[in-house]
Amino acid sequence: MASSFPTARLTLAQMRRSVGRLTAAGVAILISTAFVTVTLLAGSVIQGTTHDMIAAQYAQADAVVSIPGDDGESTFADADIEAVAAVDGVEAVQPLTAWYGDLRNGGKGGYQLFTPVPEDPRLSPLELTDGTWPAADEVALTPELAERLEVGLGDEVSVKRTIYPEGWTTSQAEDREAELGEPEEITESLTVTGLADDPYGAYTTFGGAAAVPAAALQTWSAAEDSQEQVTELLVALDEPLSGTTVPAALDQAVQAATSGVEGVSVQTTEAVAAAKAAEKTGGQDLVFLVFVMTFAAIALLIAAMVITNTFQVIIAQRTRALALLRCIGAGTGQLYRSVLLEAAILGAVASAVGILTGALLAQAALLVAPSFDLGVPIPATIALTWQSIVLPLVVGTVVTVLAALAPARSATRVAPLAALRPSDAPTLRARSGRTRLVVSLLALVGGFALLGLGVFLGMNDTPQFGLLAAVGGGAVAFFGVVLSAVLWLPRVAAGLGALVGRTGPASRLAVANTLRNPRRTAATSTALLIGVTLVTMMSTGAASARMSADNLLDETYPYDVSVSSSSPEYVEDLRDALAGTDGVGATVLVTNGSVTLDGAKDTSVVGTDPQDLAAVVNVPEEAKRLTEGSILLTQETADTMSVGAGDEVALSGGNGSVDLDVVITGAGPLNRVVTTTDLDRVTDEETWTDIWAKISGADVTAVLGDVQDAVAQVDGEAFVMGPAAEAAQFGQVVDVILGIVVGLLAVAVVIALIGVTNTLSLSVIERTRESATLRAIGLSKKQLRGMLAVEGVLIAGVGAILGIVLGLIFGWAGAATALSLMGDVRYAVPWTDIAVVVVIALVAGLLASVLPARAAARTSPVAALGVE
Amino acid sequence: MPVTAGVRNSPYDLGMTAAVQDQPGAGRGAAPVVRNVCGMDTTVYAPGSSSPAVRARSLTKTYGKGEATVRALDGVDVDFEQGRFTAIMGPSGSGKSTLMHLLAGLDSATSGQAFLGSTEITGLNDKALTRLRRDRVGFVFQQFNLLPMFTAEQNITLPVELAGGTADKAWFDTLVDTLGLAGRLTHRPGELSGGQQQRVAIARALIAQPDVVFADEPTGNLDSRSGAEVLSFLRRSVRELGRTIIMVTHDPSAAAYADRAVLIADGRIAGDISDPTPESAMAGLDALRTLEPSVATAPGTGV
Ligand SMILES: Nc1ncnc2c1ncn2[C@@H]1O[C@H](COP(=O)(O)OP(=O)(O)O)[C@@H](O)[C@H]1O
Ligand SMILES: [Mg+2]
Repeated sequence: MASSFPTARLTLAQMRRSVGRLTAAGVAILISTAFVTVTLLAGSVIQGTTHDMIAAQYAQADAVVSIPGDDGESTFADADIEAVAAVDGVEAVQPLTAWYGDLRNGGKGGYQLFTPVPEDPRLSPLELTDGTWPAADEVALTPELAERLEVGLGDEVSVKRTIYPEGWTTSQAEDREAELGEPEEITESLTVTGLADDPYGAYTTFGGAAAVPAAALQTWSAAEDSQEQVTELLVALDEPLSGTTVPAALDQAVQAATSGVEGVSVQTTEAVAAAKAAEKTGGQDLVFLVFVMTFAAIALLIAAMVITNTFQVIIAQRTRALALLRCIGAGTGQLYRSVLLEAAILGAVASAVGILTGALLAQAALLVAPSFDLGVPIPATIALTWQSIVLPLVVGTVVTVLAALAPARSATRVAPLAALRPSDAPTLRARSGRTRLVVSLLALVGGFALLGLGVFLGMNDTPQFGLLAAVGGGAVAFFGVVLSAVLWLPRVAAGLGALVGRTGPASRLAVANTLRNPRRTAATSTALLIGVTLVTMMSTGAASARMSADNLLDETYPYDVSVSSSSPEYVEDLRDALAGTDGVGATVLVTNGSVTLDGAKDTSVVGTDPQDLAAVVNVPEEAKRLTEGSILLTQETADTMSVGAGDEVALSGGNGSVDLDVVITGAGPLNRVVTTTDLDRVTDEETWTDIWAKISGADVTAVLGDVQDAVAQVDGEAFVMGPAAEAAQFGQVVDVILGIVVGLLAVAVVIALIGVTNTLSLSVIERTRESATLRAIGLSKKQLRGMLAVEGVLIAGVGAILGIVLGLIFGWAGAATALSLMGDVRYAVPWTDIAVVVVIALVAGLLASVLPARAAARTSPVAALGVE
Repeated sequence: MPVTAGVRNSPYDLGMTAAVQDQPGAGRGAAPVVRNVCGMDTTVYAPGSSSPAVRARSLTKTYGKGEATVRALDGVDVDFEQGRFTAIMGPSGSGKSTLMHLLAGLDSATSGQAFLGSTEITGLNDKALTRLRRDRVGFVFQQFNLLPMFTAEQNITLPVELAGGTADKAWFDTLVDTLGLAGRLTHRPGELSGGQQQRVAIARALIAQPDVVFADEPTGNLDSRSGAEVLSFLRRSVRELGRTIIMVTHDPSAAAYADRAVLIADGRIAGDISDPTPESAMAGLDALRTLEPSVATAPGTGV
C-alpha cells in the first residue's frame, strides 16, 4: 500500500478547494461542541458554587473537628468543646449549630434560621457591618432579613417558640402531657442591635440569618422537643495552618480531648468542604449534567446528519476528480482514508473553535449573571479544566469522522470510468434500499406496537411500566421514521410541491429541483424533522399535562378558593373579609351537615344557596338546577342508592325530615347538594360552614396571598385552600420546564436549519451551469431567487410539518401513558407553539435561501455557454 | 488576392454519410439572396439590404486591466439579415463567442452598440435584457444545457412558461415534427443521445418564436453524423420556418450549412463569405491563419 503521505497532500489540496462548503458543515459541529463546552463549564460552575456555599459556613476556620457519618446519636458535649478549646495552639472553638424559630415584625416574617454570635470573628461567615453584636434579648440580622422584616437598628422583633417541659425528650411516658405538663408557647421580644453581612452567601439559601448570643441559642435549643446533634466544631488556631494537612500533634491532642466521642476526625476546612461538595454534586448535579448532556447529544446527532449530508454532496461534486485519481492509480483505500482524514481535520478545527466559542459564551454569561438576583454567589470567571477542553474536542472530532464514514464509502464506489463520462449532473448511485426498508419497517411496526402497549399499560394503572414501554417504543419507532425518511419523505415533499407548483414556473422549477435528489432532500429535512418532533412532543405533552391538571382540579374543586373556619361565629366576618379582598368575585356559604339520606345514616350533605353557588362555581349551569325541594346527585351515587332522576328521597336529621326530588348532575363536586333552607329543616347540629369564592383577578397567586392576609386579620383560625393557585403554580412549573427543554432543543433546530442552508448552497454551486442556462433563456433574477426560496421553504416546511405530526402523536401517547393517573387525560394541541415552529421553519427556509440565491443571481448567463 | 489554399480534410469530412453529403453548397441552387460582397471592401455589411435582425456598431469588449488587458472585440461593425442562417467563423480565441454574447445581451460591451431589430440592447438593464432574452432571443448551447429533471417536452416549453404563457400547440407540433422528436417527448435528457438532446435544445430555442436564435458551437459535442443532422435541422428552421439563426463555429464544414459566413480574427471582422462551401470556408479560415489581419479582410468570397 502506498504511504499515507500522498493521501494527506491530496486531502489538503481538496480541502483547500472546498473551504467554503466545509466551513458551513463545520458550523454545525462548532455549535454542538460549543454546547457541550458550555454544559461542562456550567457543571463546574455549579460544582464550584456548591463548594463555595458549603465552604462559606466554615468561614475562616483553620480546621474542622467532626464526627463522620450521621447516626443521629453521637454529639459533642459541652465538655468536649471546652476540652478542644483547651488544646495547645487552639485559640477558639465554635460548634456548628443552628436553631429555627418563628421570627416576626408584626405580620412580616416567618420561620427563620438562628445562628450563635461567633466566639471568634474567624469562625463565622457573618461580618458585623453596623451596630454591635447582640447581648441577651438582642439580635443581629443579615441585611436582607432586616429588609424583609422592615426593621432597622433599635427596632423590636418577636420570636415565637414552644417550650417543652424538662425531660420531654427522654420521657418514656404514654401521655407526656399528663405527666410533665403541656408544652408552652411563648413570644419574646428582641431588640435589633446589629447588621451582619453574609459576604460568602452561607445563609443565602436560608433567606439570611439572625444571630443571638450562643447562650441564648443553647437555652432555646434545650427547650425543644428534640435535641440537635453537634457534629462539627470549627477551630481557629493561634498560628494559621501552613500546609494542607492537619499536624499530627494537633490531631492527637484533639482526639485525646474528645476521647468520649468515637471516630472523631480532624481535617482542614478545605478538605471537609471538598468532601461535602463532592457528596452533594454527585447526586442532583449529576442528574442535571446528564439531563443537559442528553440535549447536547441530540444536537451532536443532528450535526452529524448535517455533516454526512454535506460530505455526500461534496463527494458527489468531486466525482470527476475522484474518478480521475482512480484512473491514474489511486486505490480505494487511499480515497477512503483521504475523506476520513478530511473529516478529522474539519472536526478538530471546528471543535477547537467551538470550544473557544463555548468558553467565551460561558464567560459572558458569568459577566452578566450578577445583574440578575440569583440568590447564590457565583464565580466571576470560568474555570477551564482539561475535561472541558479535551472532551468536546474528542467528541466533536469523533462524531465528524463517524458522520463521514458513509460518504467516504461512496467515494470509494466512484468508478474510474466516471472520469470519461460527461460531467453533467453528478449523482451518486443510490444503494439498494432493501435493507433499509426491512429494518425501518421492523422498527416502525415494533416501535409503534410497543408504544401502543405502553399507552395501554399506562391507561390501565401501571404507568411506570407503561412509560418504560412507551419511551422505548417511541424511540424505536422514531428511529424507524428517520431511517425510512428517504423512502417516503420525498413523496410527501412532491405532494406538497404539487400544491406549491401551481403558483408559477419558478415554483415548478423549485419543486423539480427538490425532488431530483431525494436522498439529499430527505436527509436535510430529516435533520429538521428530528428537532421539530422533539419540540412539538414536549410542548404537546406539557400542554396536555396542564389541561389534564386543570381539568382534574376543576372536577375535584368547583371553586377557586375555599376558606374553612374553626368556629361558626366567625364565618360571616370571614366572608366579609374575603368579599372585600381585591380580585375576589362572588362568595357563597356552603354548610356541611351529617344527616340520614334515604335511610343511610351519617351521610354528609351540603346545603347552600343556589343563586350564590351558581355565581361562584365553574359549573354554573349545573348549580342552577338546584331548587328548593330537590337534591343534586351524581349518576354514580344515584345508582348506588337505586334511584333515578325525578324519584323522591328522604332526608332526615335532628329537626325533622323532608322529601327531595333527585336531580342528576354531571358535576362530581356538586354531589349531595341541597338548598340551605332544606338542610335547616332537617338539622342544625353537627354542621360546619365553608366559604367558597371565585377569583376574578388575573394574578391568581397574588390574589390568594391577599386572601390569606385578609383572613389573618379576622379572629379565629381559618384554613385557606386555593386550587386555582395550585393550577396556576403547576402551570408555571410546567412552563418553566418546557421553556428549558425547548431552549435546549432549539440548539438542535438551529443546527438543522444550518443544514438546510448548507444543502441549498451546495446545490446552487452544483447547478451553476443550469442556473445560467435558465437565466439565458429568460428566467429573471427575481424568479431565480424565488425558485431557491421555494426550495428552501419546501425542504424546511416538509421537515417541520412532518415533525409536528409526529410530535403530536408522541406527545399524546406520552400524555396518555403518564397522565392517566391524574384521571381523564386531555389531548391538547399547542396551537401557538405549533404556529411558532411553522413560522420559524418557513422563515428560516426562506433565509437559508438568501445567500445561495444571491450567489446564483450573480452568475452571469454567459457561464451557461462556457465549456468550463 | 484570391485564396487558393488547398482544402484540407477536416475530421468531419471523413466518413460523411448521405445526410451530410447533400449539404455543402446544396443551398446555392435554391436561389438564395447572393450578395456580392466586393472582394476588397473593408466593410462587410451591405447597406441597402432589408432591415437587419441584428447589428453591431463599433462593438468593443476588453477583459482585464492595465498590462493584462485583452481586446476580445475591437470595434466590430456587422449586420445580420432576417430570415437567414449566418455563421460566425474564426480560429479559437478570435472573439466569436464574445461577439455572440454581446449581440445576445448576455454580456455588457465596453463600448459601441448592439441592436436587436430597432432595440439597442447595449443600453438595457438586467430586467429588460431578461425580458428580451425570454421573448425575442433563443439560444442553443454547445453542452445542450437541458434541465435534467424535466422531460423533453417540459424542456421545450420552459421558455414560454417562464414568460407566464402556454406554448402555441400548432407551433409546438410543427417544431416537433420538423426536428423529428415525436417519439421522444416523454424522455428525460439522460435518456436521449447527444444529437437528440441538441434537437430538443433547438426546439426550446425556437418555441417562443424569437426574432433570432444564437447557437454557440452547437455541434462541438456531437459526432459528425449527429452534428450534420443538427445542422440540417438548423437550416430547415431557417428555410421552412422562416427563422433567423446566427451560429458560432470554428468548423468550416459546419459553416458550409449557413447562407453566409462572417470571418473574425483577433476581435475584428476579417471576411465575409456568401453561400460558403466547406472548401471556401476552409480557404477563408486558412487565409486568416497565413495572412496579416489587415490583409485577411481581402479574401475572395466565392471560390
Ligand atoms: N472572461 C474572460 N476574461 C478574460 N479574457 C477572456 C474572457 N473571455 C474571453 N476572453 C478572451 O477573449 C478572447 C476571445 O475569446 P472568445 O470570444 O471566447 O473566443 P472564441 O469563442 O472565438 O474561441 C480570448 O483571447 C479569450 O482569452
Ligand atoms: Mg468560443
